[in-house]
Amino acid sequence: MTPNRPLARALPRSRVFLLATVSSVFCFTASFAVPQERPVQTTAAPAPPEAFVDVTRTLGINFQYRASHTSRKYLLETMGPGVALLDYDNDGRLDIFLVNGAPLSDPTPKGTIPQKTGLEYWNRLYHQKSDGTFEDVTEKAGLQGTGYGMGVAVGDYDNDGFEDLYVTAYGGNKLYHNNGNGTFTDVTQIAGVGGGGWSTSAAWIDLDGDGFLDLVVLRYLAWDFDDVWCGEHKEGYRAYCHPDYFKPIAPLVYHNNKNGTFTEVAQKAGLSKPAKGLGLAIADYDRDGHIDFFVANDSMMEFLYHNKGDGTFEDVGLVSEVAVDIDGRTYAGMGVDFADYNNDGWPDLVVTDLANQRYALYQNNGDGSFSYVSPNAGLAQMTLAHSGWGVRFFDYDNDGWKDLLIAQGHDLDTIELNFPHLRYREPMLLARNTGHGFVDVSAESGTVFTQAWVARGMAIGDLDNDGRLDAVVTTNDGPVHVLHNQAQTTNHWLLLNLVGHSSNRDAIGAEVALVTQTGSQFATVSTASSYLSASDKRVHFGLGKENVALRIEIRWPSGIRQTLKDVRADQILRIDEPPSAGSAAKP
Amino acid sequence: MNTRSVNRLLFLGLTALCLGFPLPTRAQTEGDFGHGIAEFRAGNYSSAVEFFTRAEAVSPGTTAALLYKGKSLVHLSDFPAAEQALQRYLISHPDSTDALYLLGFVLHRQNRPSESLSIYTRAAAITPPTGDDLKIVGLNYVLLDDYADAIQWLQKAVEIEPRNQDAWYYLGRTYYTKARLGEARKAFQTLLSLDPQDPRAENNLGLIYETDGQPAAAMEAYRKAIAWQEQNLHPSEQPYVNLGNLLMEQGQSNEALAPLEKAAALAPNNAFCHMILGIAYRQNGKLDKAQHELETATQLEPDNPTAHYQLGRLYKEQHALDRAQAEFEKTAELKTRLAGSQLTPPPKR
Repeated sequence: MTPNRPLARALPRSRVFLLATVSSVFCFTASFAVPQERPVQTTAAPAPPEAFVDVTRTLGINFQYRASHTSRKYLLETMGPGVALLDYDNDGRLDIFLVNGAPLSDPTPKGTIPQKTGLEYWNRLYHQKSDGTFEDVTEKAGLQGTGYGMGVAVGDYDNDGFEDLYVTAYGGNKLYHNNGNGTFTDVTQIAGVGGGGWSTSAAWIDLDGDGFLDLVVLRYLAWDFDDVWCGEHKEGYRAYCHPDYFKPIAPLVYHNNKNGTFTEVAQKAGLSKPAKGLGLAIADYDRDGHIDFFVANDSMMEFLYHNKGDGTFEDVGLVSEVAVDIDGRTYAGMGVDFADYNNDGWPDLVVTDLANQRYALYQNNGDGSFSYVSPNAGLAQMTLAHSGWGVRFFDYDNDGWKDLLIAQGHDLDTIELNFPHLRYREPMLLARNTGHGFVDVSAESGTVFTQAWVARGMAIGDLDNDGRLDAVVTTNDGPVHVLHNQAQTTNHWLLLNLVGHSSNRDAIGAEVALVTQTGSQFATVSTASSYLSASDKRVHFGLGKENVALRIEIRWPSGIRQTLKDVRADQILRIDEPPSAGSAAKP
Repeated sequence: MNTRSVNRLLFLGLTALCLGFPLPTRAQTEGDFGHGIAEFRAGNYSSAVEFFTRAEAVSPGTTAALLYKGKSLVHLSDFPAAEQALQRYLISHPDSTDALYLLGFVLHRQNRPSESLSIYTRAAAITPPTGDDLKIVGLNYVLLDDYADAIQWLQKAVEIEPRNQDAWYYLGRTYYTKARLGEARKAFQTLLSLDPQDPRAENNLGLIYETDGQPAAAMEAYRKAIAWQEQNLHPSEQPYVNLGNLLMEQGQSNEALAPLEKAAALAPNNAFCHMILGIAYRQNGKLDKAQHELETATQLEPDNPTAHYQLGRLYKEQHALDRAQAEFEKTAELKTRLAGSQLTPPPKR
């Protein structure tokens, strides 16, 4: 019934003008120390020029994702891959894990489970050496992989102090246990987490608060290698099929039995709703003490799973107003992040999608609902013609406001034939948070933002531990790009490495509120979010001109609360979970 | 295609009928057939149909009674009956391009684009098509979601008839739909050069300005379109909707009310008009009015998930949580059902 106007559009909504009032009210009533010193200052300073530079080659990284594009346009070909940033050997430096594809015959018979056949299809683990360059340790680590890889999740599922890897793929996933000596062991079978179908993003989350990480694995579609023609029946116009042509499929949810094995509990946990899941991000959006998560679905309603606190979940996407855009339309949800970008103490959501849809920014109202604020926050017009995948809120210039970095590129390599103003290859987007909304600062932030890629996965982390967050971006059937943050700024920062003891050792799900003289910020510990990727688990805060954090308040997943006072800026600080509640410490 | 477009097509078809087809011979104007022609010329199409039916019954196949019966039925928008008459006429007059072209149009109007194209192909093999015919051919491809071919035939239509305003309009719309904004702009500007106060062209230029991030220019275009169609007997709701929508996007939801109220008045059966007006009322805190409009929208289109979603949001704001939940559940059900309805796989290669 939409009249006479096919292009994507959105309507504004009055609620956004009431947000400040609503949020403040709930700040006062929230049980946890959410910032009453809400920052009112905004960042008037210009964006730091030439903030990012591509240093991939100089770091010794030479990786090419093999998508194995065919003339049949199997949808699988255009969706990968993911990347992870993790410190697998606990040397204090982030390492890089890259997921790779596998060869596909043209045509590929229905029922095929593609397998890697040579070095060029291996997944890769790059170890960061003390001089900041990387070495390929894949073979030594035993992480070559087997099938057509998609994504990766990082978490220490057995709390032994070493990060483990879960690699998703088409036709079966792999769990690699970190042996603590630079090698990994494929424990998929014994753990019982192989799954099946087409898995995409996965996340380690302690769903039931028992101190051990559970595993949520999204699946995209009920799909096989069928030789179907989508797009116009003309030479060169065959296109990847729209997800509407395929049925949704339930995710896999594995409960950690604490003995190296897992039990699939999607149905029992209320998480078996069929989905077309691509992106996954976690946060306790209603601050009730139980971690929730959001599923970015492609071309169907998005899901927000509310943790009922009894080990079960319910989808509240519609009632929370994050299932659709402001016009009530579904969109092609792909990447997602869940973080407090406006520093009001409530986690907000950003979801990337396809061109003509506009990336969705949902501001948390603090009452269990969200407001779609893409137009008001400047993100709508900025992203109308773009297609986004990997996405993260991150404070690249350490001014105290979380910015946005987005990996872009259309899924259809034929898109320009039918939509000449759209692009298959697109540059990255850097949107700076001014405190009043987002501004596209890509043009002044480095030549890397002029290079058009078919970008997909993206992980964020401080590779060189200088307090400025870097990024690693994968491209479909192309090379990986390591973007070094060289923003010239005198702003201060803190990088917090939380170590759980009663809680899961990664402290995934812990909430951190940081208060300075200027204001306050809020973050959740997570390795998940973005698209198919896993980021640095350490929590980063930009402190602007403040060289001391007056208070750091942590709510651990166990429920233990911890407060640190007068924490000096510009350091990487390890924080161990105290044995009981109410602990205070001065580092 | 919206109601206005359909009405225009009907008008065009009728124009073609009246102007483009040969008049009957003297011999054919006697008796029932002659009376039928007189009634047809007088615009009494129901009566004409009766005369033509009798004429055909008395002397089967000897007059053009069936052809004219078909034409009369098109005037009456009875396309299935028109198709039947024309098909019968074509049995005895298989090479009648009058009948073939009209049948192509009739099939198009019945949303049978493939059959329509097949008939147009038959007709064109005998007599070259006019710009209007090619326009319908192009619109058939629009119905088939084949925009590349639609553009090709609409371009040919304006090549043959450079002053065919409707062909330019549909060419512009097709370009716009495919986001070929520069070409769409040129098409609408050409239409304005043919009719400097064509509200459709100006309204669509407004949409293009909006897409280009020029809201002020867009607003001016919508206002011009509204002014130009003021004297029309049947003004379109479109520029009012677009103006109201844009005002809302600009945060001027109070100013949006007047055009949106006008749009809903002009198109009382258009659910979208009621829905967007309801949203505007909600944004202005007029929750009772919003409720009325959104409920009207859901009544007009009970299977529209967006209308139910907006009504659910309103109920939630009114703290009618049970009703809100019911609307959200309805939204979910409809979204799921609609997604399922698209699961038909594309053809195998």
